[in-house]
Amino acid sequence: MGQDLFTGMIELHGRIRTHTVDLPPAVVRCANCHAAGSGPDVPRSLAPRLSHELLLVPRARRGGPPSHYDRGRFCTLLRAGTDPAHILISVEMPNYTLSDEQCWALWRFSIASSHAPARP
Amino acid sequence: MHPPGPEHARRRVCTAAAAAVLAASLGPVRRARAETIHADHGRVIPPVPLPPIGLRCADGQSTDLAALVQGRATALHLMYATCSTVCPIQGAIFERVQALLPDQDRNGILLLSLSIDPLDDTPATLRDWLGRFHARGGWVAAAPAYAELDRLLEVFGQGRNAVENHATQVNIIDRGGQLVYRTPQLPSADSVADILRRI
Repeated sequence: MGQDLFTGMIELHGRIRTHTVDLPPAVVRCANCHAAGSGPDVPRSLAPRLSHELLLVPRARRGGPPSHYDRGRFCTLLRAGTDPAHILISVEMPNYTLSDEQCWALWRFSIASSHAPARP
Repeated sequence: MHPPGPEHARRRVCTAAAAAVLAASLGPVRRARAETIHADHGRVIPPVPLPPIGLRCADGQSTDLAALVQGRATALHLMYATCSTVCPIQGAIFERVQALLPDQDRNGILLLSLSIDPLDDTPATLRDWLGRFHARGGWVAAAPAYAELDRLLEVFGQGRNAVENHATQVNIIDRGGQLVYRTPQLPSADSVADILRRI
């Protein structure tokens, strides 16, 4: 389910946080902007590649103390646009209306993949 | 409950004084910060006349930016057809603007998708872009000549680089062909339609 949500095989509903209506599902697919794991790049995209490392390894955000995602923080990001340091991220990232089941499926999909090169 | 005594009054005065000192010290900071945050959008003062940049439209016709917008209230965004990230959202916003302005074309309102990828965005590609968003009359897609791209970005690019991070604002041009307003990034269709109705 997580991969289907990521690629848009299952539609997601989202809107830019300054808008009053949802955008068409086709334009708010995660895969429009994000690569995942060791999958192919999204050409010319500045959105981060989703991976175990990105989400779970603590990192200083904007010079603050290290923080990392967990399932709850990930869902907060998707629904409200705030990151683990409680900062609103870029307006280009839509806010999504999604169930806990959908959100957890996306979380599992995102942390299951690594961007480290595969071992021979 | 006891009536407020002298100690209560003294505390109130101290609190008010502290608040005044804090407000005075934060005031200039807050103002400067607000100006920084909003520097990239709002009214353009003074209005900027559009330069005569040559364009090739989705219908294959060649025209000039200044001539194309003359006499029409225009909403212009930068895009390129192979962009999968923010451009589809920009297209969806214009699609909804058209839905909100059913008499748009008759009222002399133009939506203009201006490509920043003139090498790839041929007229056929631009027609496909318009088709994806069910564009009606009054929504034009066009690309400048490659040599004119820098001049275009000078007016509309807002310092972002041309491809990965192009501005997603909508630029509003009045009927005299002058850039008069820049929206925030990815504005709502309602706000764009509202501005277009009023200029």
